[in-house]
Amino acid sequence: MKIEKLFHKLHAFFNTDKHKKRQDIEELKKVLLKLKKKERKIAHALQQTEDCNLRTHYQTELNIIKIQRKKGIEALQQLKERKKT
Amino acid sequence: MHKALLLIVILLLSYGFWLSDAFKGIAAGVSIFLFGMLSLEQGFKAFTGGVLERILQKTTNTTWKSFGFGFLSATLMQSSGLVSVITISFLSAGLLDLVAGIGIIFGSNLGTTTGGWLIAGLGLKVNIAAYAMPLLVFGVLCVFQSSKHLKGMGYLLTGLGFLLLGIHYMKDSFEHFQSTINLSKYAMPGVKGLLTYTAVGILATIIMQSSHATMLLTITAVSVHQITYDNALALVIGANIGTTITAIIASFGANIQGKRLAGSHLLVNLLTGLFVLLFVKDFAIIVDRISEYLGIAATDKAMKLATFHSLFNITAIILFFPFINQQVMFLEKIFIEKRPNIFKPKYLDASAMDFPETVVESVRLESIHLYENAIHIILRTFGLYKRDLQTNDSLKQLIEQNNQPIEYDIDASYEKRIKGIYSAIIAFISQAGFTWQMTQSSKLSWLREANKHLVEAIKDTKHLQKNWTRFRASSNQATINEYNKIAYQIALHIQKIENFRHEIESNELPLLSLDILKAAIKNDDMQMNRTIETLIRERKITPETGSSLINDCAYMRSIKKNLLKTAETLFLHGTGNGGVEQQLALNDTEINDIVQPVDTK
Repeated sequence: MKIEKLFHKLHAFFNTDKHKKRQDIEELKKVLLKLKKKERKIAHALQQTEDCNLRTHYQTELNIIKIQRKKGIEALQQLKERKKT
Repeated sequence: MHKALLLIVILLLSYGFWLSDAFKGIAAGVSIFLFGMLSLEQGFKAFTGGVLERILQKTTNTTWKSFGFGFLSATLMQSSGLVSVITISFLSAGLLDLVAGIGIIFGSNLGTTTGGWLIAGLGLKVNIAAYAMPLLVFGVLCVFQSSKHLKGMGYLLTGLGFLLLGIHYMKDSFEHFQSTINLSKYAMPGVKGLLTYTAVGILATIIMQSSHATMLLTITAVSVHQITYDNALALVIGANIGTTITAIIASFGANIQGKRLAGSHLLVNLLTGLFVLLFVKDFAIIVDRISEYLGIAATDKAMKLATFHSLFNITAIILFFPFINQQVMFLEKIFIEKRPNIFKPKYLDASAMDFPETVVESVRLESIHLYENAIHIILRTFGLYKRDLQTNDSLKQLIEQNNQPIEYDIDASYEKRIKGIYSAIIAFISQAGFTWQMTQSSKLSWLREANKHLVEAIKDTKHLQKNWTRFRASSNQATINEYNKIAYQIALHIQKIENFRHEIESNELPLLSLDILKAAIKNDDMQMNRTIETLIRERKITPETGSSLINDCAYMRSIKKNLLKTAETLFLHGTGNGGVEQQLALNDTEINDIVQPVDTK
């Protein structure tokens, strides 16, 4: 197992660019997952509330998260394509 | 070193050189040794720039880890002085707490004793110059490279080479020295000898600013029987007390925490020194036993001195390490922090200048201090205090209830609370002496921008104040309501920023969550403008008042945007998924698309 770990580190060292791209993809996926959870939470809160001002606030927040997720998914697709090339 | 003292030292050395060639060699050996330590210091600094901060944060969250960090770094760098300076700098910048700092000092005190083993075990027994020369050659080769890391490696190699060369010269020169002058004639037995040689050890270490150099002189002298073993023990005790001078000097440019750490270092070493002096005979016996166990020859005084040096610091650990928290309480009573002057810089200490990470953190903390003063001014303009943001009372009601004219001199407040600190921050940043390649330089640039945004927010508040004061005294309730709304929105925005700031640790996506505040700024602005248009159309306010309101809404928008940009820089330090979140954060166009026009009818 130690040799495997060492090999993995050496591989990462000699393929720094690929390793960085993989890291970027992983980080982006994590953020997208957090955004998805947040979106579900806000959508649930929006359904539960009847206060007009609060509903407007939640709706705006939901719209923002949707655009952030859309941007994130586009960025992820671009990163995956760049990794292939 | 004070100029007068420097002159005296130069004169004494010159006299010594005239008297004896061997003395010249010894002095040169010490100088080369000290130069080697300076090179090592230079070499290690090349590897800072975020690395040191990350290592410090991970390795100093418990006292034992701090101890381990101190031990390893002093062993690698062969300098407890450099470790003290690093610790005091990071402590002053708030990157470490005092308990961790004291732990590091204990570790570095023990780590530095490895130098004694190196000198006694290797330096005096092998042809050390043979190892020094290739180190110097490869080191100098690397120093001339353009890569920062290769250059740093070069300084490390040359530093090590000079250390070994210094030991070699000293060893050779002492051997010649003993044929001309026999220092053992000046040996002093008994208590008088103990106290005199301890004082000599303290003085020598203070002058040379290096306990390593004193140890080197002592070990070499004892190996050629120039001084007696008992007097050598006293010199080692003196060296351990004198070594605290580096921390004391570093603390002059530090804040109260740095001074407390230097105080702790002096206290521990001084008390341990007194303890060891009282029981020096017993310690000598313990050293003999340990040497026997380790297979050190009874006649090998040099190795025994190295053992004694380590034993001294182990004694300090046994006596004081379990009582670090009590030490901290004692030091906090002795070194009382003066009530900070909110009008003066709190964090911009000279000691923080030593490392890029500490410069950035000091500037960030001082910028937060400036931010606190700025929001005080903005809130006071509208008759509010920061504590009003934290009460359950409605901000709207507080603003509406306060219908008396508010006379608040923003210019005077700016001069008192902002200008001095802002100028000090700019001056501090401009003195930061590292290259533009380092990431800390861009962080300083953002912090400078953040401070600029704060000043712009205050200037916009000043512009807003004129009409705010004028129209709140009017008889037109609609006008008063709109100006109250402006004040309310600014106060609410500050409240939201404060909530964001205090909940940042639990916020998984802090940067992205600021987009909702950006959208709120746009939304509020649109709503206000629609309302003003409606009021003009319904002739509830005059067009002239309406135009003033529209201008003042623009100031309101500018204040909110500037405060938000400042918050983004100051409070998102090291949190969240930085780069990824920045990619996903919405720009102005995207926010405009989201914010829906409001129907006010």
